[in-house]
Amino acid sequence: MDPRDLTDMQLDALGEVGSIGAGHAATALSQLLGTPVDIDVPDVRLLPVTEVPAVLGGPENLVGAVYSRLLGDLGGGLLFVLDREGLLQLSDLLRSREPGTSKSLGSAEEATVTHAAAMLISAYLAAVARLTELSALPGPEQFAFDMLGAILEGVSMQIGLKVDNAILILTRFSTAGASVDAALFFLPDPDSLDVMLGRLGII
Amino acid sequence: MSNTTGGFWADPDENTVVVATGELAVAVHPQVLVTPALGSCVGVTLWDAFTRRGGMAHIMLPSPSDTRLGGLADRFATVAVPRLAEAVTGGLPRRRLVAKLAGGSTMFGGEANITGIGMRNVDAVKQQLSLLRIPVVAEDIGGNYARTMELYLDTGLVVVRSYRYGIKEL
Repeated sequence: MDPRDLTDMQLDALGEVGSIGAGHAATALSQLLGTPVDIDVPDVRLLPVTEVPAVLGGPENLVGAVYSRLLGDLGGGLLFVLDREGLLQLSDLLRSREPGTSKSLGSAEEATVTHAAAMLISAYLAAVARLTELSALPGPEQFAFDMLGAILEGVSMQIGLKVDNAILILTRFSTAGASVDAALFFLPDPDSLDVMLGRLGII
Repeated sequence: MSNTTGGFWADPDENTVVVATGELAVAVHPQVLVTPALGSCVGVTLWDAFTRRGGMAHIMLPSPSDTRLGGLADRFATVAVPRLAEAVTGGLPRRRLVAKLAGGSTMFGGEANITGIGMRNVDAVKQQLSLLRIPVVAEDIGGNYARTMELYLDTGLVVVRSYRYGIKEL
């Protein structure tokens, strides 16, 4: 399907799924950390997967990414992406440290961000599953820090080159002191996207 | 997001020929061929020292039998490699051509190791080059990181850029 064919109502429904997922993830993170964390979804868009590199600064742009394969009734993958600065900031935010404390990217930062991404992904899929009455489960999360183009290519290879559209869920994590933006991409294969939109009652 | 590994993508000029994923291109000195962000894909260059002409392909899959989906024919090793050789020589004898390879990595561990698509791509490209009797004179393949590949047509120098190892010359 062509992303431009989506109506405002369909976009609203996708946005709703994103917000519910973010809300649940925020609750879970706040419980874990013992301090309130908000997650807002300022924007949800459906775009051709070929346009993703341009949105994020070109194929050679260095990004941190957490990938999870989509299992269950729906096929595809999920990819959480943020730049190096965002990665360090999110790690500080989740470890209740002053923004700017983390200067280099180590295994602690990688683990913290992977964990947060895993919660966001699970919560988002739970929202999708609940609203569509389909089973949608995340596979094991994998982390990479490298060129965006190669990461997307790696994801597309694993899910069999079938994805042509991506749902971009812009995600803003914030605590009292700081906020960090990241992008969550939901990459369903075309059949799964149709099924999902159908189940949401908006086709 | 502005942090990049630098290179031509960040600052292209009129002599830069960018080869997109699944495509191929031929150029002549003083042009420079570049393909960004090779992951499991394989970048292959062919170069003729006499004419200072060369070509580059950004290959995604071994052969058309690896997918049922439509798309660019030049993303397959079995299609792109012979077509690239033909395009560089213009149908003349290809005994002067030399090949260099980069890419074929595994961006995410775990699952990707099962399909092993990176090394399968490398093997398919080498098999095609061997059928054409084109020697592989240098390669930078495998691992779990992304590479950008550039071919300079005056000397045949290939520069591979990566976040992990910086600049490597082949």
